[in-house]
Amino acid sequence: MANIRSNQHALLSPMARKMSEDQCRNLYWACLEILERTGVCLHEQAAVDLFKKAGAMVSDGNRVRIPAGMVEKALGTVPRKINFCDRNGNRAMQVGGHRSYFGTGSDCLHIIDHRTGQRRKAVLQDIVEGMTLCDALDHIDFVMCMFLPSDVPQEKLDRYEMEAMLNHTTKPIVYVTTEFSGCKDAVTMAEIVAGGADQLRQRPFAACYINVTTGLRHNGEALQKLLYLSGKGLPFTYIPSAQGGVTAPMTIAGTMAVNNAGVLAGLVLSQLNNEGAPFIMPGWGGNMLDMKTTTQPYADPGKRGQAIDFAHFLGLPTFSLAGCSESKVMDQQASAEAALTLFTDALFGGNLVHDVGYLESGLSGSLPQLVICDEILSWLDAFMHPIEISDETLCLDLIDQVGPDGQYLDHPHTMEHFRERWYPGIFDRSNHASWQKKGAKNLGERATEKVDKILADHKPEPLAPDVAKAVHAVIEG
Amino acid sequence: MTQFANMTEAILAGDPDRVKQLAEEGISRGDDAGAVMAAMIGAMDIVGEKMEAEEMFIPEVLMSAKAMSAGTELLKPHLAEGGGGNKGTLVIGSVHGDLHDIGKNLVKMLMEGSGFSVVDLGTNVAPDAFLTAVKEHSASLVGMSALLTTTMPVMKEVVDALKDAGLRDQVKVLVGGAPVTDEYAEQIGADAYGADAGSAVRIAKSLV
Repeated sequence: MANIRSNQHALLSPMARKMSEDQCRNLYWACLEILERTGVCLHEQAAVDLFKKAGAMVSDGNRVRIPAGMVEKALGTVPRKINFCDRNGNRAMQVGGHRSYFGTGSDCLHIIDHRTGQRRKAVLQDIVEGMTLCDALDHIDFVMCMFLPSDVPQEKLDRYEMEAMLNHTTKPIVYVTTEFSGCKDAVTMAEIVAGGADQLRQRPFAACYINVTTGLRHNGEALQKLLYLSGKGLPFTYIPSAQGGVTAPMTIAGTMAVNNAGVLAGLVLSQLNNEGAPFIMPGWGGNMLDMKTTTQPYADPGKRGQAIDFAHFLGLPTFSLAGCSESKVMDQQASAEAALTLFTDALFGGNLVHDVGYLESGLSGSLPQLVICDEILSWLDAFMHPIEISDETLCLDLIDQVGPDGQYLDHPHTMEHFRERWYPGIFDRSNHASWQKKGAKNLGERATEKVDKILADHKPEPLAPDVAKAVHAVIEG
Repeated sequence: MTQFANMTEAILAGDPDRVKQLAEEGISRGDDAGAVMAAMIGAMDIVGEKMEAEEMFIPEVLMSAKAMSAGTELLKPHLAEGGGGNKGTLVIGSVHGDLHDIGKNLVKMLMEGSGFSVVDLGTNVAPDAFLTAVKEHSASLVGMSALLTTTMPVMKEVVDALKDAGLRDQVKVLVGGAPVTDEYAEQIGADAYGADAGSAVRIAKSLV
């Protein structure tokens, strides 16, 4: 019997886009024009000098206008995918294309304490508990420190954050530092853990998140970090923060153009400094200032999707943002905004997706909220799986065997396959009587219980004592 | 108060040309410039309230402030000495190490619109500069802004410096910025914390 078929196993998984190829191209050309016509202000002489030497036009001391050819060349040498390892040097994340990895955010000033329900200033112990939780959660792939510790010397708070992350999880780290010196210390600490500078470069498990003032105005500290990290071949995210209606035009396209011109300027600089250096661009765009409340909304629908499309067009890995909310508490708005933003980023294919669990536009964190996000991610994981239509999965012989009046409940085939479907962890599907019997709890209460259970049971793999000691010495030194 | 209802409407609508026209008409009609000014300030008070209640958007508030400014310019030559409704002088700045200024600028515009005189020291302002300006301008208010947790401590330095210089009792100290809180204001010995530009004006008026 002939068994030759063409196009048998085309597996599709859900995906979405907002911008067409042509729209991306138009945006790209707009960025190129901004770079040639308006240019960027770079507040670091070493950066200006590199551009001058490479043939860019420099005026007024630090206004740099970049010819399109330099951008094209940079896009040709930058890696399209970055390999991230975990703390033990095992391959962990292939950051690029449509692969999505999810992680927390950093530096929330407050925590909605799950034990008291109160909003209070965050402390170092909150980071320790946060990292323990992240280490245990199945759908958190990397960590950021979650909280800003108010109980440590503030001029070294970023070193304490790095130390806490290194000690309480083996998952990859994205770190933030207030100044350039903190970035150097963070790298030193990571190199100690990796076993040396070469080892860290070959198996990077930590990346620095660099915030840049706006697309066309690059602060000194951001440029210093870019030069240092690209020089060492270490990955970083370069994120200008133009705000529509304030430091960029109100229109989404205008904000995207201004911000991404800055991204491309940073990209060129990284390749001029060290050809082939890894570079990660923003996976969100079209930031705006909320004109009623003057807050910067994280879950704004207008900033989702198009930046990921643009990054795919350029071929660059993205640092994206999802699982976050403007809500001041762990309520319905928090779940809705977290789910909506996680859904869009998963569909579009953001790569390193951070700020999962954020409340109050990044000013408050919550451990139970993170657990709810982990559940949402579990759902999304199941949803995004392609469906296999094949002889095996169609099981036509079985259908004929069971016939119109038979049933499948106690059939071995059902026994074999029922676990392939998604089952909730903390979303509840019980009937009403059963739910009442279990205590009539809501999602927030169940999430809080899960936090307590994980904190009681889970022990992350510690650093070897001599390594932990050497890491701590960097803080003191 | 129908006499100035049109003016109030023009300020609320953020229409500088209409405000100037009405001010001119008023002056040529023989209206008291101080009364016209007071009506404009009253309108800006409403703008501040609406802003705080999230009923007006920032761009609308700024257009009103622009309209106010246009009217004030026109009225200035006609105002009697001290009749400008000067509620006091505010010295304002973003503290040393901090370059963020959008919030501060909003406060400045609204305070001027409400009849305060504002000395804007800009950004990255050292404690000494605050002191000098307070003395030079006989300020009754000091406003400090910080967006970074790393620059917030400078606010305490300024409060302490005011105490050491014997100026603390002369002024009311207002602080603001995303990481700042009521508790922090109390902790460092400031007089009040404003969560946004709209509330800053309301608080400033209640303090002087």
